[in-house]
Amino acid sequence: MFRQSKKRASSRKNFSVTDGEDGQLILGTSSASEKKLYDSIYASKLSFYELPPQGEITLDQFEVWAIDRLKILLEIESCVSRNKNMKEIEAIIKPHLQKTMPFNMDNLEAKKKDYYSHFILRLCFCRSQELREKFVRAETLLFKLRFNMLTSQDQIKFVQSLNLPSLQFISDEEKEKLKVQLYQTVSSQLQFQLNLHDETQREAYFKREKFIKLPFEDVIELVGNRQVFLRGGYAYLPQFQQLNLLASEFASKLTQDLIVTQRNLPQLNEDDRLLPILQHLSSGYTISDFQPDQYSKEDGDITANSVYSADIAQHYPLCVKNLFRGLRENHHLRYNGRQQLSLFLKGIGLSADEAMKFWTNAFTNGGHITVDKFNKDYRYNFRHNYGLEGTRIKYKPWDCRTILSKPRPARGEYHGCPYRDYNVEKLSNDLAQMNLTKTQISAVLDSCQKTEYTIACTQVFEYTHGSASSRASEDQTHIAHPNLYFERSRLLQKQQPSS
Amino acid sequence: MDESSREKNAIKTPSASDMQYYYQHMFPFKVIFNWLNHSPKAGRDIINREFAMAFRSGAYKRYNSFSSVQEFKTAIEKANPDRFEIGAIYNKAPKERDSLLKTEMKPLEKELVFDIDMDDYDTFRTCCSGAQVCEKCWKFITLAMVVVNTTLKEDFAYEDLIWVFSGRRGAHCWVSDRRARILNDLQRRNVLDYVNVVRDRNADKRLSLKRPYHPHLVRSLELLKPHFAKIILEEQNPWQDDNRAFETLLPSLHDKNLIEALKKYWTENPGRSSRDKWNDIDLVASKDVKVNKKQDYIIRLRECKADLIIATLYPKLDIEVTKQTIHLLKSPFCVHPSTGKVCVPIDANFSPDQAPRLMDLQKEMENNGNNINKTTLQPFINIFQEHVNKIMKHDMGTAKRERAEEAKTSLEF
Repeated sequence: MFRQSKKRASSRKNFSVTDGEDGQLILGTSSASEKKLYDSIYASKLSFYELPPQGEITLDQFEVWAIDRLKILLEIESCVSRNKNMKEIEAIIKPHLQKTMPFNMDNLEAKKKDYYSHFILRLCFCRSQELREKFVRAETLLFKLRFNMLTSQDQIKFVQSLNLPSLQFISDEEKEKLKVQLYQTVSSQLQFQLNLHDETQREAYFKREKFIKLPFEDVIELVGNRQVFLRGGYAYLPQFQQLNLLASEFASKLTQDLIVTQRNLPQLNEDDRLLPILQHLSSGYTISDFQPDQYSKEDGDITANSVYSADIAQHYPLCVKNLFRGLRENHHLRYNGRQQLSLFLKGIGLSADEAMKFWTNAFTNGGHITVDKFNKDYRYNFRHNYGLEGTRIKYKPWDCRTILSKPRPARGEYHGCPYRDYNVEKLSNDLAQMNLTKTQISAVLDSCQKTEYTIACTQVFEYTHGSASSRASEDQTHIAHPNLYFERSRLLQKQQPSS
Repeated sequence: MDESSREKNAIKTPSASDMQYYYQHMFPFKVIFNWLNHSPKAGRDIINREFAMAFRSGAYKRYNSFSSVQEFKTAIEKANPDRFEIGAIYNKAPKERDSLLKTEMKPLEKELVFDIDMDDYDTFRTCCSGAQVCEKCWKFITLAMVVVNTTLKEDFAYEDLIWVFSGRRGAHCWVSDRRARILNDLQRRNVLDYVNVVRDRNADKRLSLKRPYHPHLVRSLELLKPHFAKIILEEQNPWQDDNRAFETLLPSLHDKNLIEALKKYWTENPGRSSRDKWNDIDLVASKDVKVNKKQDYIIRLRECKADLIIATLYPKLDIEVTKQTIHLLKSPFCVHPSTGKVCVPIDANFSPDQAPRLMDLQKEMENNGNNINKTTLQPFINIFQEHVNKIMKHDMGTAKRERAEEAKTSLEF
């Protein structure tokens, strides 16, 4: 059986095996035909992803490409749940796109990555209605973002390449007949969306603008806020608004394709290499892009004593505050709590020596545990976390995904995520103490209800760091790591020392 | 029976046996059945249609469904509800719901409905309040019907719509066009938002609609404007009351100085009529308020006045009813439990005292030998029947076209 699949794989290769080493040969030789194919797909820089890719990629590429795209989609989803508008989302997503999924340039590798990753994620997200909707929503937004990043020439080129039947422009006579109503409809959009503040400018633009006539159901999002003129069951869509139409076309095509993909998914069952990856990607993958090194630690102001100080403690996320509370009350933490807190503190820059001081103190000052007992029972554990004992592994602070994957805290345990583990009453109490308003609290509780705990946490961060974090220049990405919460909060404070 | 007890009889609410009589002898089950079925032959649209019954006790029984007129009539007669409501067409018959998984029941279609209630006009209504209604304030509803009708017909190209008296102080609009029936919730929400202009019923905020007006608003304003002077300034005259004028008239103006000047003037000259106050706005504006850009100022003021006309007279919709496919709404020809009036189809010439009352209908039946054709209900049934005939004709037309389409595509293979 194993041989069979190998044979099948090699028979699919359209080049000889002696060409070089795996991966290399796909990238390196990249037959002229492949380049030509992707050049034609991306001639207009964007794609509706009509045909599945046929070439070969390595397993490594398969996973890395998919994860990179997934990160962007999850970021988009988080923005949407936090009610960001299009402009804000663009500001947040754009740097990510440029880093991991650059497009809009002449690079075969980037084009392939975009194309393949889209189709790989289709495999992950076609399994259930819920996943499909999630995927379509995020991909459609990504499509809109990218369309907006194109030059207007490229936009026109792209639209022409689609050849959509519903894109029928009205005749000049019809436009002339309806010009009063059409102008009434688009005038304020020209002013606020295209920044044409001068009446004559708007009129000139209107004169040149073409209108598309289509059943109003096709652009239903524009009907509710009266962005289109309606007559006889048809909507008259100005060309500058056509992105909405394209996006809904994109979404409905993708939805249909996903259903087809789902039907064909069982064929994949014979492939034991891909399934685990797919399973892994679609099941509760959250972004934890946190790189501890990206925040400087040179201050060295994190010590066994200062971690208690208000100056430092104000930046702790709720889960850490909860752990400190438990530690203070019991002069002890059980294993999972110890791990979560000690690795967090290590992450914010508490040195091994200071950590020993901190934990010795915290455990012995209640009088139940003597220094001897601490040294005997617990010291090894904390030193191990710092890579000073045993296999000497450098442990990383837990991200939210790790925290959420551990067993829930039992009575007398303080690890875990308060947004998941607290009851509604306790959580709203704590949030009220953090000076959140009633509506803000109910927004957070809403996210918790939907089991979107990291979004709840990000919301709390935004509410508590209100004015500061809304500045466009700031990093506003999703928070899925307690240390990220801490570092970002501190950074914000440092930037405006006056307040 | 002497005169006074007859008088008493007339206002008493219908009893259980009155309702029983009405369902047995008068309620036009067949017409309603065909109306919801869109075809004379019982099909999915009626078999999978949800009905809910509301009882005197306050009990409410959802998920009933009927596969024939006979079953429909028998079931309603037997249960004898105060009123019953109409819901969505599902993929399965709602009465089988207990034997199905919850996730298997999916709403597919329903008429697009709108609900207007007089309560929402109370800010500017002085002739009556709460549940009361009279000829004067019914004009709000009549005007609302005209505006909504025009919008649905001209903008959305819906044809098969009918207005039904809700029995006391409101009206329901049922749109039966196929294209309207198949709207999903998102689409319903958007159609509603398009039609629903005055979203915030608090008069203490300025409406400040976008300029220039969307063509739909331009046309609505043209429809409403001719009635503003009579209905608001004369008949309702809500701003004669100075406090009410401060609370609901002044906040809709754009200029603080003007508002202060008017407040001062009206405090010094209390009790001026709505019409006087309306004119005062222009007078005070041109006299007291000093502005550099006069032209601009006048335009802004005129815009505020236009917004006010919209705020007072534009149809005020109950949004919950329209938003969801599965929402239930009282069936036409039900009897309102507290007024005894029948929910009859209406047009712009209707006023609430024209609605037949169950008590009177019973007497008419007694007097003419139980011949329903001679009662005052019959003309309303006829109007409805005509409407149903029109829908069935349209629907059969679409069905035929669709079959032809199908035949054409299947030939290609």
